[in-house]
Amino acid sequence: MIARFFLGLGLCALLLVTSFATYVYLGGRNSKVDVVAQKPTVGSPRPNAFTLPGTLYLSQNGAIYSYSFGRFHQLTIEDGWMQPSLYPDGTYMLAVHRTYNYSDVYILTRFGQRISLVVNNAGSANNSDTGSKHWSFYPRLAPDGATMWMSYDEPKVGYDVPLSIWEMPVNGRINQGRLWTNSIDYTGGDIQPIPLTTGGIMYTKYSRDDNGNLVGQLWLSMRPSPPANGLTLTTYGAEGQALTSATDDCSSPSISPDGHAIAMICTYERQDDRLEIASWDGSNIGTRRALIINQLVAQPTWAPDGSGIAFLAPAVPGGQFQLWFLPKNAYNPPPPPPTPIPTPTPGGPYHGLAPSPTPAPALVAPVIKPIQITTNAGFDATSPLAWAG
Amino acid sequence: MPLGILPGRRARASRRRLSIVRTAALAIFAIGLSAMAGSVAYFLPAAKLAWDATGQVISIASPTPSPTSTAVSSPTPSPIYQPGAFTVLLLGSDDDSKFSPDHVLTQSMILVRVIPTTKQVIMLSIPRDLYVPFWAGGSGKIDGAYSYGQAGGAIATVEQDFGVHIDEYIWIGLLGLIKLIDAIGGIDVVTSNPVIDDYYPQDIYDPYPYDFQRVAVLAGPQHLDGIHAMQYVRSRHNDLQSDIGRSKRQQQVLLAIRQKAKQVSSTDVPSIAAALGGEIKTSMGLGRVAQLIPFAATFDNPDAITSMVMTPPLWHGGGPGGSLTPNWPEILALVRQYFP
Repeated sequence: MIARFFLGLGLCALLLVTSFATYVYLGGRNSKVDVVAQKPTVGSPRPNAFTLPGTLYLSQNGAIYSYSFGRFHQLTIEDGWMQPSLYPDGTYMLAVHRTYNYSDVYILTRFGQRISLVVNNAGSANNSDTGSKHWSFYPRLAPDGATMWMSYDEPKVGYDVPLSIWEMPVNGRINQGRLWTNSIDYTGGDIQPIPLTTGGIMYTKYSRDDNGNLVGQLWLSMRPSPPANGLTLTTYGAEGQALTSATDDCSSPSISPDGHAIAMICTYERQDDRLEIASWDGSNIGTRRALIINQLVAQPTWAPDGSGIAFLAPAVPGGQFQLWFLPKNAYNPPPPPPTPIPTPTPGGPYHGLAPSPTPAPALVAPVIKPIQITTNAGFDATSPLAWAG
Repeated sequence: MPLGILPGRRARASRRRLSIVRTAALAIFAIGLSAMAGSVAYFLPAAKLAWDATGQVISIASPTPSPTSTAVSSPTPSPIYQPGAFTVLLLGSDDDSKFSPDHVLTQSMILVRVIPTTKQVIMLSIPRDLYVPFWAGGSGKIDGAYSYGQAGGAIATVEQDFGVHIDEYIWIGLLGLIKLIDAIGGIDVVTSNPVIDDYYPQDIYDPYPYDFQRVAVLAGPQHLDGIHAMQYVRSRHNDLQSDIGRSKRQQQVLLAIRQKAKQVSSTDVPSIAAALGGEIKTSMGLGRVAQLIPFAATFDNPDAITSMVMTPPLWHGGGPGGSLTPNWPEILALVRQYFP
């Protein structure tokens, strides 16, 4: 009887343990699709961490981080900070501070401390009309360090709220600003201005293709847009020239440090995109070359020393965006060694058949793949990267 | 008799051996039973919620003949037989406090044809403002069909007007979409353009559903959580194509959800079901849903997915109450190509 009692007790314990273990096991077997992104600073620095030249600035969950010597540093608190852009001398940066219904532009030190407010878009506290507030995105400084460019939602009429490219003194006020582009109505507008050394800008203009689909196009503008008038609200095309075709749906331009190449992303109106590069002569884009295909790629940015291109991309489909680096050798391989010339046979002239040289083994260029730098972060793919040398 | 074994001892040994076998069998049975109990405990809450959400009975009210029902007279489409193929009507509603829960509109209606043999998916968005005869009688914008007869009313109206057969439906509310996307950890979308809206309804988690808020979903590839994905698919004020434009965005998000759902395993079901609780309804039974989840993962080829949105000349504006007047011959010709 005692044996049966202990047997029963043992079975009961077994039942409890097994059922509990099964529950825990099943709980641990889920796919972790909803795992929250870690701060990049977690676990940083890692042994053998990949190092990039200079310091890279990027944004995650409303905070700006820097990455240098294989280590992330959090520069601001998680409070809507995004789209950092460096001064030409690298001493300060511009950054967007986004709230739920407007965004401002600030000057920060390169360590993330607030210096001053450049554009205040909060509107009047007494005005409850949501249309009285504004968005500023993609601030960039011209090479002179005194002129700021940005996308700004003015002019807007009623429901039509397009972003347009504006220029203003970085130490001035918005009413000193000049409108550079007339965005196309009901498209979302013009974004991502890149100031050029020639005084103009390259930017992404949204328009409609022949099928009515909204697409991005790279544009070049060398002068402010003529002001729109009452009848022709959009002087489409008057402010410059298109650099890419509508159906290519290109955006996020980035010019190489030597100024002779451009990187961009193009979707061809699909839900994946390509990282493409092309030569750039200051007014035209050369033949484009796809470096990465069939993967989501965002914010390509050239290294200041020209050693490669950093970009954001998910490591798995549907995943959070991680930091990647594509070394220069992937798109600009070193020239192959010269083909060996057969040594002539010593002696007098030979009149027979020329000896055929032993065929050299085919030179297969090693495939350089992009290097994934982070694994569990969740960077803001709508926030351009800033890279100091 | 073999030497060394007495008859009584052999019987005891036999009983002891039997007892060990019985004990082992009992233990194995107990382990199996308790493992099953653990599994039931794990999946029970999800099963309860899933049971409530799935297998919804489609009730269709008797139709009242409508004098304006021009579409009924359209020729029946020739059926395209594809073994195992089925058609689902996806319905999305603004189920905020502006509406009575039983009388919500369907702001989004998408016909989806799934052809397992060729791994093809065809999606056709129906404009919510299309002026159609209702199954229950009378005419109006098609988004009202649900409010007059729930899913059954919407299905019967679409079947009647478009000459299609609908096998299943899935209805999801505003919060349901947000919770679904959050439960699967967000989605990756290439947003087509900056979606900026100064008068976006502030009716989620807000006691005043008629308030407005500003939204700005920036352009390009990005990872969207539920709230921002909702803003992307719902905003229409800053889109010249209004409802048509957002239908295209809705299809992008649907495909992104499908892409992400490939990574979901059966053990994720409890957390997803708990997140969704009450925000989704479907006519599909639990078994059918369980069968389709792994099946959906096999649809890998993006070129095999056809997304369509009805644009002019399939309709023209100027209908009653700002509705769209359908061009039925054109619409039926299109629908007949893809939907039996």
